[in-house]
Amino acid sequence: MIEIADLAKSYGAVQVLKGISLSIPSGITGLLGPNGSGKSTLIKALLGLVQAGSGHGSILCRRWPNEVRSIRESIGYLPEDDCYIAGLSGIESVALMANLAGLPKVEGLRRAHEICDFCEFGEERYRGVEGYSTGMRQKLKFAQALVHDPPLLILDEPTTGLDPGQRESMLRRIKTLNVRYGKSILLSTHILPDVKTICDSVVIMVDGEVKVTDTLERLSRPAHPTVHVSVVGDATELVSRLQESGFNVVTDADGSLRISPVAEDRVDVIWKLAVASETKIRRLVPAMNSLDKIFIETASAAEAI
Amino acid sequence: MAIHDLGYRTWDGVRTKGWTRPLYIASSGVALVWRRRWLRLMLMLAWLPIFVPALGIFAFEYSSTEPEMLQVVINLVGGPLQRPDLAVQLMTDRDGARHEVWTLLIMAFFRYPQLSAMVLLVGLIAPMLISYDLRSRAYLLYFSRPLHALHYMMGKAMVVWFFLAMIVTVPALTLYLIGVMLSPNLSVVHQTWDIPVRIAAASIVLLVPTTILAMCYSAYTSESRYASFSWFATWILGFVAYQILTFMGTEFRRGSRGSFDVDYDRWRLLSPYHALGKVEAWVFGLDPTAGSVLPTLILLSGVTFLGIFLIRRRLIALLSI
Repeated sequence: MIEIADLAKSYGAVQVLKGISLSIPSGITGLLGPNGSGKSTLIKALLGLVQAGSGHGSILCRRWPNEVRSIRESIGYLPEDDCYIAGLSGIESVALMANLAGLPKVEGLRRAHEICDFCEFGEERYRGVEGYSTGMRQKLKFAQALVHDPPLLILDEPTTGLDPGQRESMLRRIKTLNVRYGKSILLSTHILPDVKTICDSVVIMVDGEVKVTDTLERLSRPAHPTVHVSVVGDATELVSRLQESGFNVVTDADGSLRISPVAEDRVDVIWKLAVASETKIRRLVPAMNSLDKIFIETASAAEAI
Repeated sequence: MAIHDLGYRTWDGVRTKGWTRPLYIASSGVALVWRRRWLRLMLMLAWLPIFVPALGIFAFEYSSTEPEMLQVVINLVGGPLQRPDLAVQLMTDRDGARHEVWTLLIMAFFRYPQLSAMVLLVGLIAPMLISYDLRSRAYLLYFSRPLHALHYMMGKAMVVWFFLAMIVTVPALTLYLIGVMLSPNLSVVHQTWDIPVRIAAASIVLLVPTTILAMCYSAYTSESRYASFSWFATWILGFVAYQILTFMGTEFRRGSRGSFDVDYDRWRLLSPYHALGKVEAWVFGLDPTAGSVLPTLILLSGVTFLGIFLIRRRLIALLSI
């Protein structure tokens, strides 16, 4: 979907993007990174809103940056900033964005109403946008991004300022667009649970560089196969027997055990050792790396360098 | 859920051409400005001065059947319009003077009431066009579409041009049509065909540099009142400076016993009002010193191109934040 190489951008002496090479597949991709890591600049460079110092590639099979204006026809962008067209009502704003994306006048208005229905605007669509709450403005930006039916959506912090109910609705809409309508989505956010809920793959940027790019499923898998075991009562006997059998055991703060390496065919051994040590296992599941941990480790590794 | 809500639906229609996009920005802007009651009132009031040149044209055409009406036109042309030579020509060759009388009346309409109305209208509309977008960061929404900076500027400028055309071009063309309808036969069209073209050209001279200048002020502040203030200050200070400098020059010439000429051409460059008046007179073919129009033309072109450059630069800088 997005293939970019050597993308660099500087603001004066500050190099914000340091020769990024990036391949983003279709599906929902989370773009993560600490503040100032260059996420928003990357998005603006992809859209051609800022001119990149160098870089080449393709977006939706069109040459980037040469055909950036035609690329914008196929991208829906939800900016992070609070932005609206003063004086217009919600429906007028969405219709205008549809027209500017190339939809004819009447078709744009019809489509704007459809999208407002999809985003559950109700009668609020006829009110001036200045009077909208933060949540409504966020929905308005989403509707504007979606109105021209783009195959790719770039959403910069789409759930910021939403209450839990609205946040869930927004994530559900994003997921629906991907699953049922085949939209690809690049989701830039700081809210890691959002990424865990809906994303297929993740890009982590730190200090103007891409540090991690992989599927969420692969990233969550530990380097060595590990199982997470909770037991009833004292686990000392079981731990010593596991260590004697060659397992590496780490006891977490809550008393649960992380046992590695555990290939699929060796899970039986753990059950047998538990029987032998008369320890009751409450829960045994494959351990996964948490996204929070991956994010923090990546960010702190970059800082250490 | 509303019964008409069909959920998300895809769209695969034919997209409009890129050149239509400024029109959408313009129509949205016009609709927004039109909602203001004071503007609608102003538009109506701006049409009132049309009665004076219309009466002049009526008197001129009516004089073919009522010769005493010619005296009214002669008094008007030789008096307030300061063309005694034309007044003399009217006495001998009334029909031959038609083109010049019509042009003079339409030019006077352009030069005095409508130029002032234009300053007021642009000062009230143009400053908010871009500064409102800066305040609400709407430029991010605009430029996330396949829109060129020039499309955006053109769309915004067209909002002002629409209203200016309503108070300048349309009334002037109406005056011309009144003249044609009041004339004894349609052969006057052959004699005066260039007047509508001159009206269009004079409108461009009036509309383009002024709108770009006002938009440039608007692009550099998110407070539209500052842009309005700068706009009116430019006109008032320029006007006052021109009056003072030419008055002082005249007084100095009296003191030096006629050996000194006031350099009107140079001081005119300070005043947008007088600079535009000079070029308009040239466009209508009524400027007796047509050779000296070039510096003014260069100035107005410079303001236009520099304005476009500065607005574009500002928009690019904003997007980089």
